[in-house]
Amino acid sequence: MRPGRYTDQGPYDLFRSLLKDAITRWNISPKMVDGLLTSPSGQSQGQTDAYVHDKLISEFALKPRFAETMCLGGASFGVMVNRAMSAVREGRANAVLCIGSGKFLKPSEGSAEMLAKTIAEADFEVPYGPFIPGLYALIARRFMHERNITREDIARVAVSARKWALLNPDARMYGKGEITVEDVIASRPIADPFNYLDCSIPSDGGGVVLVTRADIGHQLSDQPAYVKGYGEYHACGTISGADVLNETGAVQSGAEAFAQANLTPADIDVAQLYDAFSATPLILLENLGFCAPGTSGDFFNSGACDPGGRFPVNTYGGLLSYGHTGDSSGMSVLVEGARQAMGQAGARQITGAENVLVHCYGGMMYDHTTLILGRQP
Amino acid sequence: MSGKPVPEITPLNRVFFEGTAAGELRLCRCMKCGELFRYVHPLCPECWSDSFDYVVSSGKGKIESYTVMHMPPYEAWAADVPYVIALVRLEEGVRMMANVDMDANKVAIDMPVDVWFEQRDDVFIPQFRPAG
Repeated sequence: MRPGRYTDQGPYDLFRSLLKDAITRWNISPKMVDGLLTSPSGQSQGQTDAYVHDKLISEFALKPRFAETMCLGGASFGVMVNRAMSAVREGRANAVLCIGSGKFLKPSEGSAEMLAKTIAEADFEVPYGPFIPGLYALIARRFMHERNITREDIARVAVSARKWALLNPDARMYGKGEITVEDVIASRPIADPFNYLDCSIPSDGGGVVLVTRADIGHQLSDQPAYVKGYGEYHACGTISGADVLNETGAVQSGAEAFAQANLTPADIDVAQLYDAFSATPLILLENLGFCAPGTSGDFFNSGACDPGGRFPVNTYGGLLSYGHTGDSSGMSVLVEGARQAMGQAGARQITGAENVLVHCYGGMMYDHTTLILGRQP
Repeated sequence: MSGKPVPEITPLNRVFFEGTAAGELRLCRCMKCGELFRYVHPLCPECWSDSFDYVVSSGKGKIESYTVMHMPPYEAWAADVPYVIALVRLEEGVRMMANVDMDANKVAIDMPVDVWFEQRDDVFIPQFRPAG
């Protein structure tokens, strides 16, 4: 669904809209959907609802053999695809609905303090006043130092995301015009090295994917997306505890996904790389093996990842210019990956996109999932 | 009263904050394998032994990474911006987070820093400032 500011709608209003959209798109019925995976809502308000699947089963009158509310932040949506696939392979479900909605509230007094405690150590980090941008900034600064990545290099990622958003009518920044590296650096400072335009756009929204058997997939769509490889890795859940800041769990999750798919980075045609902040696609390009250490900045600067480039990244505008939908953030990354593989990405469709890589992470780059999707099994 | 967060004393961190009150930066040491670590682990992160004592850190370290916070996450920090948050690698090899009390424009990776202790309510929290 199109991200926006739906101030009069709660998470369940968004879930209802999402399901209606899915029914229209795929002509699915309650008898057909026998699996449900979803993610908690209300996290940005500091009121986490961890029993979303129960409410959705009740509201939508589902009778699933397989259901769960999964909480891995942005990584939830990559993990969902894997868990749903396992259930389908084991014959425990035929069609698993994976659905996420999110509202990214402005951290008001109280909720920001509460949220800080869920993402940082209460006794050894929270007393120093960190928040989400500052924690990512610690990762980014070390990465920039060790890999000779400049302030301009990370700003260039936001410039590229905006170019893609101008091709996507659903993106928050559609129609808002291009931005330059200078614009990014001149925008108001948030947490060094990040300025306002280095940060994703807080939004409300969500998305749905259906994970099913190939035969059912072909009944629903002329060109379904196949899952060819998957990997996950769970690194230390605090910034202070992470041994090496610039080698994230993407190193392990990526290697696993490529091995499973029997593919290498050279085989990938387009990548969707979770971009809560402008620096993270650079870190991921290097950690996943697309760029040698220290070369991701030059790669983006060359225009390779822009529309028309040889390796398109975040073709829908990314969280930076499409929007970050809070609890359902990773869903947009996954949905765009699937659309590119299915040939449904409209004006931004990459012709001949055979293999698509989707990388989602959760927390402050703690949980990592890499999916490789393709047009063929 | 700044309203800044005050760490809660728990069975896991009590020895640490008794140390900071006495002007000591303590590091857990595993008596089985000798690993040094922060007071966030109930068991040695290397060998899962539960017998440990502590060593007192020199309090000297280097900035491994940093950020300058320009936007206060909540009201308690409004008067402090811009403030520095750093990951400090202590001489003993352990890394920890703290603020660095300095001109935020001059912070840099690898800058040597020394510990000091800030009192918040009745708890002392380790902080750093440029060495010198």
